[in-house]
Amino acid sequence: MSNQNNSNEAAHQPVKRKEMSRRQFLAYTLGGASAFMAMGPVLPMIRFAVDPLLTKESQTSFVKVVEESQVTAEPQEFDFQIHQVDGWYESDPKLTAWISRDEQGNVFALSPVCKHLGCTINWNTQNDNEYHCPCHDAKYTKEGKNLAVAPNPLDEYEVEIRDGFVYLGPVVPNQHV
Amino acid sequence: MFKGIYNWIDERLDITPMWRDVADHEVPEHVNPAHHFSAFVYCFGGLTFFITVIQILSGMFLTMYYVPDIINAYASVDYLQHKVAFGAIVRGMHHWGASLVIVMMFLHTLRVFFTGSYKAPREMNWVVGMLIFFVMLGLGLTGYLLPWDNKAYFATKVTLSIAESVPYLGPYIKTLINGGDIVGAQTLTRFFAIHVFFLPGALLALLGAHFFMIRRQGISGPL
Amino acid sequence: MALGHHNDEKIVYVGDSRVPKRNLENVPPDYSAFPGRSEAFIPNFLLKEWMVGCVALVGFLVLTIAHPAPLGYQADPTNAAFIPMPDWYFLFMYQLLKYPYVSGDYVVLGTLGIPGVAFTALLIAPFLDTGKERRFYRRPIASALMLLSIIACIYLTKISWDHYQHQLELTGTTPEHILREEKAREAAEKAAQAGQNGGSAPVDPADLPLVQADDPAMSLMEGAGCLQCHAADLKGQGSVPALRGTGDLHSKEELVDIITNGQNGMPAFEGNLSTEEIDQIATWLALQKAPTE
Repeated sequence: MSNQNNSNEAAHQPVKRKEMSRRQFLAYTLGGASAFMAMGPVLPMIRFAVDPLLTKESQTSFVKVVEESQVTAEPQEFDFQIHQVDGWYESDPKLTAWISRDEQGNVFALSPVCKHLGCTINWNTQNDNEYHCPCHDAKYTKEGKNLAVAPNPLDEYEVEIRDGFVYLGPVVPNQHV
Repeated sequence: MFKGIYNWIDERLDITPMWRDVADHEVPEHVNPAHHFSAFVYCFGGLTFFITVIQILSGMFLTMYYVPDIINAYASVDYLQHKVAFGAIVRGMHHWGASLVIVMMFLHTLRVFFTGSYKAPREMNWVVGMLIFFVMLGLGLTGYLLPWDNKAYFATKVTLSIAESVPYLGPYIKTLINGGDIVGAQTLTRFFAIHVFFLPGALLALLGAHFFMIRRQGISGPL
Repeated sequence: MALGHHNDEKIVYVGDSRVPKRNLENVPPDYSAFPGRSEAFIPNFLLKEWMVGCVALVGFLVLTIAHPAPLGYQADPTNAAFIPMPDWYFLFMYQLLKYPYVSGDYVVLGTLGIPGVAFTALLIAPFLDTGKERRFYRRPIASALMLLSIIACIYLTKISWDHYQHQLELTGTTPEHILREEKAREAAEKAAQAGQNGGSAPVDPADLPLVQADDPAMSLMEGAGCLQCHAADLKGQGSVPALRGTGDLHSKEELVDIITNGQNGMPAFEGNLSTEEIDQIATWLALQKAPTE
């Protein structure tokens, strides 16, 4: 092999520089070859593994839920379907939102997931005009402000009003409290 | 600093003899392709190991996307090959590596056979090597089903009907491999478990034994 | 332990452990202590072996990039036209089982007998061939048996592969993984073209409406069994294509040919349907085009 020839020639000449011994040279070359042999297969695999980090997050589109005129000051429960693409698995899961108007008449939509431990909240089950979670008695105001048990206010959906219809988008932290 | 850490560990665990044994053992002239070009036939064992390492790595990465489920298996393979960056390369490595490992192992076996290296005192290492060969064939067989395309499905049906032809025990073997009466969801999960856990476990143990015996006995002498 | 012979020697352990305090004699001799042109495993020899490894790796990566791993269509247990094929290294076994005396009543001989004997012999080879001689030309029986087995395996593999190719030709089938790639390429080209013309994204033919859905050809197709594979709503299922939008892919003449002679696993309908009936169906199918705006 060429390596062997090179080092043989080098051996015949008087050694002038003592910085690198033959053994060190071989060790460095071996290190280079090892690095190539490790990186050749591994780099594509790493890129493969981190792909979800590098793919652009798909924009969650807004979904038409209900006519604006139906939304009252009293919160109402509305179901809507979103199209979810999870890698190779596409589904249309149903989501729920509690939609009402605040004092200025602006429509807002709360997510029904309790911020305590993730149970599903309900409106006015104890006739106190509050959201109530059946699991650990967490309570929220109409705006979603946490009153008891839960550490944070309820999340809300981004709301868009187009052509008289309420469109709901991604879930964001509560903006009203 | 590394030297300090090394010395600290070495004092407690006495690791120097271990790596010195691996690193500094002498390699005789007759297996060195630099001295005799024909000695390249002694490289096939090392190449088999190299490709096996690639197989294990690429397999580990493939399971990040693959699901062993008859509804989604095909879709996930399709997704990881065509949608994920470098997916075609990683799956390609695993697919072609499977063939290449068989080729390399075949050549390595022939080298050992025709140089008579399996003779005393190395009989046990030959037997272990043959067991590795069978495990590799098993890996090839079980891995073939996992993408759950038509080729996988029908080739597996053929394999199972071969297993079924064994006298008396055949139907039981078939049901055991099938995990039921048909080639279906349970067959896929079974093949997945065998391909990903059982056979690689056996393979690593056998490889360990193989290398241990090579180091103990050294490489066979010149012809 | 060799240490046991020197009772006067005291072993000093590291702390409260069984690791003896550094005993320099324990380090194996350096490679230079060995005679001849032996050399150290690391770095000298491993470097040479890994040069071979680097070349192999480059070849391997080139192969991987040049040939994507094949993938057919999702498994469909009802697909009767598929020609099953094991991976290439099992082909010799696959072919062996096609011969008389190892199939039918004697199948046990083929599945267990011959492979069993061959693989057992291979497994216990060192105990069968116990002579001291290592050179292959000095042990003719072992070498000849091995050579014969290799030749037999190569021969069987080749026969099996040729038979497969012949079958593909006979049935006019393209292997699925090739078919799939071609389709994907066509779709990509179409999408690129549509993009250039400022058109919309390609439509799934299954989403297209039927043209003249009440045509009598529909009932003819029902009677001939077309709908069993192409689905009652003609949207196709599995690897069977949708018939909606067929008019965009094939002319009427091509459709007559496909129905008469079959294609890609679809049986020939010559005999089941009269020429007039085939003509009627093809005429109607040729009308199935995507609506133009």
